[in-house]
Amino acid sequence: MITKRRASAVILSSFILASALSACSSNNNGNSASPSPSKSSASPSASASASESASASPSENPAGIDTSKHVTLQFYMLGDAPKDLSVIEKKVNEMSEKELNATVKFNFTTWTNWDQKYKLLLSSGQDVDLIFTADWTQYQSYAKSGAFLPLEDLLPKAAPTLQQFVPQDMWDAVKIDGHIYTVPATFKEYVNNGFVYREDLRKKYNLPVPKDIASFEEYLDGIKKNEPSIQPLSLNADVKGNMMDVFREINDDTVGGPLPYGIGIKYHSPNDVYSYWGSDEQIADLKVIQRWQEKGFFPKNVLNVQDTMQDGIVTGKAAAQLGDNPNRFNDTKMKMQSTHPDWDLGYTPFAVTRGFATPVHPIHNGFAIPKSSKNAERALAFYEKMVTDKRYNQLTEYGIEGVNYTVEDGYYKMIGDSTSNGFAREGMQGWAWRNPEFMLFDKSFDGVKAIFAELDKVAKPDLFTGFAEDYSSYQAERAALEQVEKQYFYPLYAGLVKNVEEGVKTAMDKANKAGLQKVQDAYKTQWLAYTAEKGIK
Amino acid sequence: MKIKDDKYTGLFKFIAYAVILLASIVCLFPFLLIISASFTDNASIITDGFHLIPKKFSLDGYNLIFKAPEPVLRAYGVTVTTTVIGTFLGLFFITMAGYVLQRRDFKYRNFFSFVIYFTTLFGGGLVPWYMLLTKYLNLVDTYTVLIFPGLMTPFLIILMKNFIRSAVPDEVTESAKIDGANDFKIYYRIVLQLSMPGIATVGLFLALAYWNDWFLSSLFINDPHRYQLQFYLYNIINTIAFITQMGAGSGVSLGGDIPTETTKMAMSLIVTGPILLLYPFAQRYFVKGLTIGAVKG
Amino acid sequence: MPIRKRGFWYELIKNRILFLMLLPTLLFFLINNYTPMVGIYYAFVRFDFNRSLFNSEFIGLENFRFLWQSGILSKLTVNTLGYNAVFILSSNVFAIACAVLLSEIKLKWFKKLTQSILFLPYFVSFVILSAIVYNVFNYEHGFLNTTFKGLGIDEVDVYNSPKLWYLLIPFFYLWKNIGYSMVIYLASITGISDEYYEAAKIDGANIFQRARYITVPMLKSTFIILLLFALGSIMKGQFDLFYQLIGNNGVLYDTTDILDTYVYRSLKVTFDMGMASAAGLYQSLFGFVLVMVVNAIIRKINEDYALF
Repeated sequence: MITKRRASAVILSSFILASALSACSSNNNGNSASPSPSKSSASPSASASASESASASPSENPAGIDTSKHVTLQFYMLGDAPKDLSVIEKKVNEMSEKELNATVKFNFTTWTNWDQKYKLLLSSGQDVDLIFTADWTQYQSYAKSGAFLPLEDLLPKAAPTLQQFVPQDMWDAVKIDGHIYTVPATFKEYVNNGFVYREDLRKKYNLPVPKDIASFEEYLDGIKKNEPSIQPLSLNADVKGNMMDVFREINDDTVGGPLPYGIGIKYHSPNDVYSYWGSDEQIADLKVIQRWQEKGFFPKNVLNVQDTMQDGIVTGKAAAQLGDNPNRFNDTKMKMQSTHPDWDLGYTPFAVTRGFATPVHPIHNGFAIPKSSKNAERALAFYEKMVTDKRYNQLTEYGIEGVNYTVEDGYYKMIGDSTSNGFAREGMQGWAWRNPEFMLFDKSFDGVKAIFAELDKVAKPDLFTGFAEDYSSYQAERAALEQVEKQYFYPLYAGLVKNVEEGVKTAMDKANKAGLQKVQDAYKTQWLAYTAEKGIK
Repeated sequence: MKIKDDKYTGLFKFIAYAVILLASIVCLFPFLLIISASFTDNASIITDGFHLIPKKFSLDGYNLIFKAPEPVLRAYGVTVTTTVIGTFLGLFFITMAGYVLQRRDFKYRNFFSFVIYFTTLFGGGLVPWYMLLTKYLNLVDTYTVLIFPGLMTPFLIILMKNFIRSAVPDEVTESAKIDGANDFKIYYRIVLQLSMPGIATVGLFLALAYWNDWFLSSLFINDPHRYQLQFYLYNIINTIAFITQMGAGSGVSLGGDIPTETTKMAMSLIVTGPILLLYPFAQRYFVKGLTIGAVKG
Repeated sequence: MPIRKRGFWYELIKNRILFLMLLPTLLFFLINNYTPMVGIYYAFVRFDFNRSLFNSEFIGLENFRFLWQSGILSKLTVNTLGYNAVFILSSNVFAIACAVLLSEIKLKWFKKLTQSILFLPYFVSFVILSAIVYNVFNYEHGFLNTTFKGLGIDEVDVYNSPKLWYLLIPFFYLWKNIGYSMVIYLASITGISDEYYEAAKIDGANIFQRARYITVPMLKSTFIILLLFALGSIMKGQFDLFYQLIGNNGVLYDTTDILDTYVYRSLKVTFDMGMASAAGLYQSLFGFVLVMVVNAIIRKINEDYALF
């Protein structure tokens, strides 16, 4: 059956290929980029065997792996490829060819359909040797369902330096069911939220510094009163992520998150799992949001606003954000001041009120080897170079020195601007293979560093991200709850429901019918098992 | 009698002009907004929204694209290539199929029509199809993958069948057969000539589908040198969407410049511009009398 | 009887050229559409990264459960069917009307220009349309409410008025698609022989009667094709229209949520192939039954109009 299918497929495709090729090849002449990637992917066997004769010197072989056969590694990163990718790729390949008898093909998913493509790459069994992982790409779920290769046995053999380089507690932290499935990034950063607000306006009208919900509301009141044409609070359709979750982070001492299915867990009592949905706590929170809506802090039709949160601040349309992380706050400020030098932006990390901040969990940025990879050893050895070898690392993070950037007083400086420069800083979205020892920062990053330094003083571990939920037994309820949240809770999150108590009651009614209890119970059981295992008290 | 007819004709014409004019205005209005927005300063769009006349004129949207035009120009090349090849190949197959399926003496025409139509009802889903094209046919990063999946749709085949049936009377086929022409010759010499409005329509639809495609690029093309034109637009749109969706907790911050609303609008005009000319071109074939005259002559 | 016995092979040899001409098309659908259909089986198994499709655990209808777990499957089905029925009806009526009217316009530049303009919306992606729509309808600064305020009329909160969208959604559908279906009808009108019109003129039929009794009936076969294709996908489709215009606005879901948007939201974060296949199968079966019935009816009335 399968051979038959393949045979007919080959006949037709070659037929079409023949008719299409003549016209295509002429079109293709103009751009003689790197060794045509299509050729290598069109006939992987050919490329593999053709280069087998390449000078491989196993004696030079740094790691204890067999590099006698040449391989081409398929490397997948999210986002857009930088313009000069082919140049960088060529340079990297020159080195890796010699050192590992391997070349790499850097592939980028772009942001179009990236989540769908990510699913396809992992579930279709396509040739993928290295792929980015993060909490927001569902690393925990994929790892739990066996999409990635366990690395613990491979590491000492293929990447001993890398194994040494990443601290043991980080290796432990990314473990899912006892296995390491990803190589975590070691750069320490914070993505906790903080209030973002127009400092110049605050001073002008003598408003309080936002520190908690109450002072923030006072600040917004002041803006509304004094600057009626400015929208006090920047907000868009993602009212859960940009309003509710942030609100809970500052106001309700959540363990982290976003927590799903209306679960509530407090950082200071992590073993007490309760239903936030329907609780008095939620009703109180929602009433505040409803009041803000009534006061006109953000648009009535916020559920259909598609602007980014930061655009409103940069252009002066809005005065404040409920929360953003230090890095993005800094970007927003820089951008704003490039067109409005007289404006100023203030930032109060939630840590000021909460008393602690949590550095990102090691799961936050990493690279994994999918199950389908045929070159796992070489892929890991190559990734080791990316992280621990300064030549590879800086090349793939910053481009070519003197062409794409220069180093001045220890600071990174881009040559030209982002349109003329073919490789911006971290142009390959190299978040995962950042190496603190080799990192170069733009001068503007000093502001972020200062915030980080403050947060370092009150750092506490992230308790939440290490948890890998297994939802296979309640997938249907999960989908149904997703619908209930969008349909009945989102309007509440946007403050659109006049009678909050009644709104919550209706929503809870629907949620219970959709199987809330079952899901929350299952989640609770899994969570408690997790805290017990990790010794979280 | 004659006067009455004129009166009716006058009334009819009046209705025709009025309705068409009204519909045209409704269709044109948003397009004008887009044009205006593409010439508006980005900050002004965010604070004041769109207006028919830019509140603050700016060429930034276009500047950003024209400062580094190579990617867009290259994408034009890709899209034009796939559109031309795909449309001609597709038309060839579709007209043949349409011709065969409308032949009353072709016993299995209903069965095969059903076989073709059935694929609009049932599909295996994205993943198996993706596996077929990537793993079994090895089409990643090829032009073939941009052309092959769009060659035919059941709708266009059945539409073509219908056009041919109404344009080519059975007698014409019969008499040609008696003259000793084989089926392919009849198709090539007679049917194609007679079905020009149908071919123009189906060709137009095929070309539009190829031109508007971005999905195939998004799934199967990793090499930026082979991105289709529309993909650039969707990339801008999706990058913006991505940023709005990534909460602060994700820690994602993009290195390069984030595309703006103006670029989005400018890009949407740049990618549609040329294809708009195709429609008037196809219109030339919507002329009455062309078909029948050919048979008689 | 003997003819039947010779059956397929006889036909194959007799019409070998016709078969050959059809071959590329059949191969195309065999490869591109029929082979991936094995994937339908995903709907009945638990997806597993470590096992091949046919080795995966069979779980019956478990993957379908998410469709009715939320208790809104019937509402989603009704919404989807309702909207599609309105789309089919209105778009065909408007497209035929516009095509008939346009075909009688003799002023060449006007005809060509307007025809092109009616096609313009087809090129506007729904993402951009949704930005424009928000610009017109948003409560505080929208074009509509600013105008209303100027005229002393009460403001309308369109994004909080679910019922309004029963009208708006079909309107935007028409706006976007009218040009496309109109072209099909225009091309069909072109194919109608002038002799019919001449004869009718001699019989004293006025222009309305000619349109009513000649043009419109001659478009029947085209209409049936459009109808049957639309019916086949009556449970699917127009995802972008709904998703982009409504998005996260749960307030409007009661009146605007369709199966496709529900499935998309449900499965966006999970990677479960089985559930996606299950939803697709539900939609397919629905369309399949509907089309078989309608096609059979059409066949009874006039075989020529039937699709197959």
